[in-house]
Amino acid sequence: MAPPGLKVTVKRWSAVASWTWTADDDVCGICHMALDGCAPGAAGPGDDSPVVWGKCAHNFHLLCISTWLQSKTSCPICRRNWEFAPSAPPPSATLAEDG
Amino acid sequence: MRARQAGTGGAAKKLVIKPLRAPSLPADFELATWHKLQAAVRAVHEKRPVESSLEELYRAVEDLCTHKMAAATYARLEHECEQHTERALRQLASASSSDPSAFLARVHGAWLDHCQQSLMIRSIFLVLDRTYPLQTAGVRSLWDMGLQHFRHHLLALPDVLVKTVGGVLLHVQRERQGEVIERSLLANLVRMFNALQVYAERFEGPLLEDTAAFYAAEATRLLDACAVGDYLRHVDTRLGDEAGRVHAYLHASTRKPLLAAVHAALLTPHAEALLERGFDALVEEARHADLRLMYSLYSHVGKLRLLKEAWAAHVKRVGSALVLDVEGEAGLIPRLLELKRACEELHVRAFERAEPFGYALREALEAVVNARANRPAELLAKFFDAQLRANAKGGGEEDVEHVLDAGISLFRYLSGKDLFEAFYKKDLAKRLLLGRSAHVDAEKLLVSKLKAECGAGFTNKLEGMFKDCELSAELTAAFHAAAPPLGLSDIELSTHVLTTGFWPPYPPIELNLPPQLCALQERFTAFYLGKHSGRRLTWVHALGHCVVRAQFAARAHELQLSTAQTVVCLLFNDAQQRALSLREIATGCGLEDKELRLTLQSLACGKVRVLVKEPRGREVDDGDAFSFHDGLQHKLHRIRVNTIQLRETAEEAEQTELKVCVDRQYQIDAAIVRTMKARKALSHTLLLTELYEQLKFPLTPVDLKKRIESLIDREYLERDPRAPSSYRYLA
Ligand SMILES: [Zn+2]
Ligand SMILES: [Zn+2]
Repeated sequence: MAPPGLKVTVKRWSAVASWTWTADDDVCGICHMALDGCAPGAAGPGDDSPVVWGKCAHNFHLLCISTWLQSKTSCPICRRNWEFAPSAPPPSATLAEDG
Repeated sequence: MRARQAGTGGAAKKLVIKPLRAPSLPADFELATWHKLQAAVRAVHEKRPVESSLEELYRAVEDLCTHKMAAATYARLEHECEQHTERALRQLASASSSDPSAFLARVHGAWLDHCQQSLMIRSIFLVLDRTYPLQTAGVRSLWDMGLQHFRHHLLALPDVLVKTVGGVLLHVQRERQGEVIERSLLANLVRMFNALQVYAERFEGPLLEDTAAFYAAEATRLLDACAVGDYLRHVDTRLGDEAGRVHAYLHASTRKPLLAAVHAALLTPHAEALLERGFDALVEEARHADLRLMYSLYSHVGKLRLLKEAWAAHVKRVGSALVLDVEGEAGLIPRLLELKRACEELHVRAFERAEPFGYALREALEAVVNARANRPAELLAKFFDAQLRANAKGGGEEDVEHVLDAGISLFRYLSGKDLFEAFYKKDLAKRLLLGRSAHVDAEKLLVSKLKAECGAGFTNKLEGMFKDCELSAELTAAFHAAAPPLGLSDIELSTHVLTTGFWPPYPPIELNLPPQLCALQERFTAFYLGKHSGRRLTWVHALGHCVVRAQFAARAHELQLSTAQTVVCLLFNDAQQRALSLREIATGCGLEDKELRLTLQSLACGKVRVLVKEPRGREVDDGDAFSFHDGLQHKLHRIRVNTIQLRETAEEAEQTELKVCVDRQYQIDAAIVRTMKARKALSHTLLLTELYEQLKFPLTPVDLKKRIESLIDREYLERDPRAPSSYRYLA
């Protein structure tokens, strides 16, 4: 029930939000497509084109770096030995927790 | 003789009799017997009764044959008959009858006499006819011998034959002009021509010449005098008449050349003029029977290509006029569907579903749909939106599928399918996010149809949107399970979380959320990011909406408002009964000026007025003040006020178009680089050919040239210094 005196009370809210990767770069360093877009060979953007981070803090489409690592072992950008970071570095503004 | 050689029992009997008779043969036997026969032949020729009995004459011939006098008898008979035939035909030649009918009757009489007399003589000379010609090379049967002399003497008198042929042709002419003629007389004379083997050489040629001249004159007379439909029916009647004529009194072999002569005179030279004069009217008046006749007639004279071209031109002209009619564009898609339906009906009912016509129709419709760039794609997307939106008019599911199929049949012809997709996606997003979709089944059905037309690449993003909706429903349920009520509000939140790449881009709008909404939003963000690391959420307030309880003086109503409308309305809780100025509302809700005015207009100037504006009016001005409309009365408990979110402004449409244009540029650039990387060097023409093959949206050489120049500037390519208008790839 609405508190007395209030003319307008919200019952339901259908909100809309859109999600993007918290990557620092806009485009993947390997395929040069947007990280939030579709990796070459992937079915679509978003969940179908996951993005991964290296310990060097560079990020790529999972598909792109996997192909790269078939012949190389270093990061395509900084040439350091490539190691996957266990999770994305937490952006300062959000309350990310690992699930 | 033959019998003896065959050695049958009958022959053996004759061998016994023969030697008995031979000695008793009188010296004048042959001549006396002939004279008796000659008298009989003359009686037949002169149509007198024959004195001797048929039996006696028959025996006489038999005796002559038995005594090897057949050759002489045959020669005597032939001489007798020939002389008579010559006389009879000379009589015809000298007959000075000016009346062609009477002359034809006399010729026919002579012929009939000849035939009857020949038969009679043949029956007298039956034994001769059955033995002598069969045993002797070069000797004809009596009947053929008679015909031979008749033919010979007729041809020796050219006047008679010419007059006879002329007479028959005159009768044919009269019949064509509508007179009733004696068809049996003509049939007999034609049989005579045939028997005498003069039909093909002496009769058919002149008949066909006459026919051509007659109908050529008729065409000149009728073409200007009657409507195209009437003319076609007249041609058809004439063809039927001529076929009937062949059946009644001409030789069957004449049918084909005779009908061809009619076609060649009445139709072939005028096929184009008839189309020019009357085709459009026939189609516009849906005269299917006339058009079917036209198809059938034109197929006989090999002019179907002209008909097909006239049809295609007609469809293009009528259709393009519809597409280019800017005033009437609201009804364009239904009108195009009606045009297409009418064309298909015509194709079935008049053009025998002929494949070349079907192909021409498809080509014409494609030209029609693309007669104007961009707008038809947008209107078609809107057409689907209207069908799929809740509260759309129309019947059951079958009807919906029928209409969707019709729309798809136009979609097939669109060359700017990417533009369609952009508009379609925008509308689909609104239907899904604002809860305005009538049936999810119908939505998915249409996507599957689009997929069947264009492949998975085309519908990938659309399917992603549906997937996002399903995941969002699960997410909302999980959020409710995981997050107990905050206590500060009992607002029920459901959130659509969109994957950025699937949905149309939404420019963010500025909005100061009140604390209770703000807390809820933060809670959901924390919940979501807890589930998905490495992600960031951006709230899209333009598409959010609320169900709000509002207490008016008469009763409480549930209002469906956009998030922005809700935030504005909530400001009036704090205002008590006071009116708020435009400035105060702007500060309170944080909306950008243009957005603010639109929102206030929707709340205070629409059909349902939640706010009252002072002074009244349809526009929102700087000095206006607003207050909560306590006196609102409405018969429904739930009222939608957020229809503003469904509207699409011209500006938005322009942006969508612009975005598609930019996308196309990227695609052109990528295709040029891809092609040049593979081929290293290419001439301008070859490069353009490759690009036209790869790119599936409308392109002009000018567009392509601009992109090539831009890539040269950006040093992806260079002009080949040795070959003008050729390019080289720069690694
Ligand atoms: Zn990539
Ligand atoms: Zn690196």
